[in-house]
Amino acid sequence: MPFLIVDDEPQIRRVVRNSLAEMADRIIEASTGRDAIDLAAAERPELIVLDLGLPDLGGEAVCREIRQWSTAPIIVLSARHSDQEKVALLDAGADDYITKPFSPPELQARARAQLRRARLNPSQSAESTVEVGDVVIDLVKPSLKKGGVVVHLTKTEWDLLRVLVRHAGRTLTHQQLFREVWGNSYGDAQQYLRVHVRSLRRKMESDSVRPRLIVTEPGVGYRFEREP
Amino acid sequence: MIGEPRALGRSSGREAAIWFAILAVVTAMMLSARASLNEALVTLAYLLVVQGASARGGRPLGIAIALAAFLCFDLLFLLPYGTLVVQNPLNWLVLVAFLGSSILSAQLLYRAQAEAEVARQRAAEVDRFAALGAETLNVARSEDALTAIAEVIRTTLHLDACSVYMSGTDDDGVRLAIRSADDSRPIPEARNPHDLIEWVASRGAAAAEHVDGTTRVGVDPAAVAAGADSSGRARELMQPLRVRDRTVGVLALRKDAGLALSTAEVRVLEALAYYAALGVERVRLAAEAERAQSLQEAHRAKDAVLASVSHDLRTPLTTIMGLAHEIAADGDDRAAIIEEEAGRLSRLVAQLLDLSRISSGSAAVDIQPNEAEDLLGAAAQQSAGGLRGHELRISVASSDELLFGRFDFSQTLRALVNLIENAAKYSPDAEPVDLSAYRDGAWLVFAVADRGPGIPVAERERIFEPFYRAPGRASDVGGAGLGLSIARGIAVAERGSLAVSDRDGGGSIFSLRVPAMSSAELARGGESPE
Repeated sequence: MPFLIVDDEPQIRRVVRNSLAEMADRIIEASTGRDAIDLAAAERPELIVLDLGLPDLGGEAVCREIRQWSTAPIIVLSARHSDQEKVALLDAGADDYITKPFSPPELQARARAQLRRARLNPSQSAESTVEVGDVVIDLVKPSLKKGGVVVHLTKTEWDLLRVLVRHAGRTLTHQQLFREVWGNSYGDAQQYLRVHVRSLRRKMESDSVRPRLIVTEPGVGYRFEREP
Repeated sequence: MIGEPRALGRSSGREAAIWFAILAVVTAMMLSARASLNEALVTLAYLLVVQGASARGGRPLGIAIALAAFLCFDLLFLLPYGTLVVQNPLNWLVLVAFLGSSILSAQLLYRAQAEAEVARQRAAEVDRFAALGAETLNVARSEDALTAIAEVIRTTLHLDACSVYMSGTDDDGVRLAIRSADDSRPIPEARNPHDLIEWVASRGAAAAEHVDGTTRVGVDPAAVAAGADSSGRARELMQPLRVRDRTVGVLALRKDAGLALSTAEVRVLEALAYYAALGVERVRLAAEAERAQSLQEAHRAKDAVLASVSHDLRTPLTTIMGLAHEIAADGDDRAAIIEEEAGRLSRLVAQLLDLSRISSGSAAVDIQPNEAEDLLGAAAQQSAGGLRGHELRISVASSDELLFGRFDFSQTLRALVNLIENAAKYSPDAEPVDLSAYRDGAWLVFAVADRGPGIPVAERERIFEPFYRAPGRASDVGGAGLGLSIARGIAVAERGSLAVSDRDGGGSIFSLRVPAMSSAELARGGESPE
């Protein structure tokens, strides 16, 4: 399956193409949002790198359109995002974003992480235990062991951890997390979430001020890292 | 003339002649039938004439007619005729009763008329104010409304000139907004003592310039307007215009002949002065709204320029970095330097944009309840590349106390990363940088401590200025000297602060303070909804 690169600047397409060449069987390119949607429908790419500043369609609209029939990871490129834009992009179905100017290794790392997650995902539902470092999470039982020792979690902590693990590798916005765990807008979402993230980290992380499992995406949300 | 019954203003001579004629005719008619008339009928007829005269000609005429009728009655209709002597003592009673009821009715009629007149004038006043109010509210331009009010004050109170001054918005003095003057009587401009106007505006007390040329301050405006001030009449009265206990301007009234307003006119003046105050306030609000709008437009334009510059610079930088990376991978050292420098350039561009946004106030902060450990972790992760080999030690109070504050997570993170990178830049090799968070009263403090050379007291404010570099600093530390000013700008935008102090044992501590959330606040909003 090919990678699809969408950007109206040929130089940027070239940089992205060269950066990802080693990872892809084949690379296809589009310079407008319309072409991108058509190409994505026809070629079913494995990964999409999408520029936000396209001349014809907003990046968010392209994301939303493609997301209706494709689960391929989408990495968004943009000159500068505000936190609100990032949240809107994630809500529209983007999986990750990277700010220009970026260095090729940075882009490669993001692409690799997305591909790994996409390739893992189909089997993940069958998987009941997740092992990361010295932490073993059994979502069915449910139980959590750290260094072989059972750690007790409250019900809310379990609900939160389950959502994070189920979407491992993907940044979930504060709002998405809150909706999943507590249902719709109940009380102060920001505050509840932070209290429980902190207590989860204190129970799971080796060093709670340098978290490696539950990573903060500043101003946007949290992400569970399966391979920190 | 306001407040005096209209009837008294008439030409009373003609009215009196008419009523004396009527009295004469009635008397003559009754005289011709004297034999068949009794006292009661005569009394009734004369009473009618007296009341008619009172009603038409006012109290004095009524009383005069009553006296004349009394004489006629006595002389012509009571025996013996032709003398003031009254034969039947009972008739004295009739005469006295007639005189008494005549005068009483004249008096009552007068009072009723006077009250009706006052009511009529009140109604007219209310009508005028209502019309003025509607007029001033309806006028499209707020300055026109003020002009209308000044015009009404001048014409209603028969003044030579009426001026309205506006207090400046930034305490920059008072300026003349509107001047309504009688064109037939030109007023020398220079006669308005501006210092006095300033005094009135700043103190909120009235002042007056008297006919004799003396000036007095702190006067009672109502007394001066009525010409009842102990020092005589004033030719200019300057009184403060107040809206909700705030002086918004000054109203100056000029009458060269001297101010002498009636009680009713003073009342009108007070009401109109309030209209003028509202008019001034409206002008000020309109100007403010206009300025706010143009500022907003300027900000929008600036943001648009920033966004486009940002995009235009970032795209070629991406290409340069990408291609340099490829060439460097082929083994060309020079390309690696290009890549590195392009990276530096891009950081500088980002900082310039940050600074520009913060200093123009267009960087909106998104204040949320946030937790300290979360921020420390993110700061550790983001500053990893800028530590220059220094260790970053993080400490938080180990207790279970929740450290929550109200701040913008991303912006505060940016400020904190700037502080950490700054500390790493100035720390001697192998010295760790210490990052901690603690609660200090109403503040949540993030402290970054280094073992650098410290900062002399004289430099402690200047280091937060953009592009400032500590003197004698090695040039290889890099950066444009923007990190600290950006960090402070963020702290201020969050209603917090950023300051530097000495560290025990050498070095500096930068303390970033943001509003902390109290435990009560946390308990209220932080109840776990399990």
